[in-house]
Amino acid sequence: MEIQLKLYGSSKVLSDKDTLNIQLPNNSNIEKVRDILTKIISEKYSKSNLKNLPKTAAFFSEKDEVVNDNYKLKDKEFISIIPPIGGG
Amino acid sequence: MSIHTALVKIEEEKISSEKAKKFIVSEKNGAESIFIGRVRNENSGKKVTAVTYDAHDQAVIKSFQSICNDAKNKFDKHAKIFLEHAKGYAPVGEISILIAVGSGHRDEAFKICRYILEEVKHQSPIWKKEHYADGKEEWLPGHSLRPKKEI
Repeated sequence: MEIQLKLYGSSKVLSDKDTLNIQLPNNSNIEKVRDILTKIISEKYSKSNLKNLPKTAAFFSEKDEVVNDNYKLKDKEFISIIPPIGGG
Repeated sequence: MSIHTALVKIEEEKISSEKAKKFIVSEKNGAESIFIGRVRNENSGKKVTAVTYDAHDQAVIKSFQSICNDAKNKFDKHAKIFLEHAKGYAPVGEISILIAVGSGHRDEAFKICRYILEEVKHQSPIWKKEHYADGKEEWLPGHSLRPKKEI
């Protein structure tokens, strides 16, 4: 299955586009997305400041609500990665 | 209408303190408190030229409304509140956030203003990328929204 990850803040470094398509085994949850992001960052972005991103980011569902690590993803689902925030 | 909130595309439009003052004025209110945050030219010893603000628009507006309603319920149900935040590329000196509060008394006006600012920093999905005089740029660290029991 595949999900679309909408990128915000520091996570925008992960793609030239606003979204990143991620291939996942069927019935994956958010925890699996964190694992895959950890792998991508260690392989391609080890010199960036993204090392802690998979651990510190939250994820929003299509309803713009925080989802926990057990949240089961659907094929073609659109979720947002929310790195640590800091407006004002 | 007692609450106005918006994300302002700063390359297209400016955040206006005059607009804010007009919104909060009321004969019922004896106090007005206005907080203006601006992009400053230095951070941690680095010379800053501008800041780019990124935002999850829908979630930001939802959080702004929730924060302002909480502030009214907590301090003054009759308060008038104006809250705007910049989005996009903002050079040094540009207004990044404006909070204006009209309330019955000064104590509530100050408290609501402070409460909103702190809650925006802790709840609203907005990110800052600083641009430096040496050409480098950096996303600033912030507050994680991941449920604490999971970290």
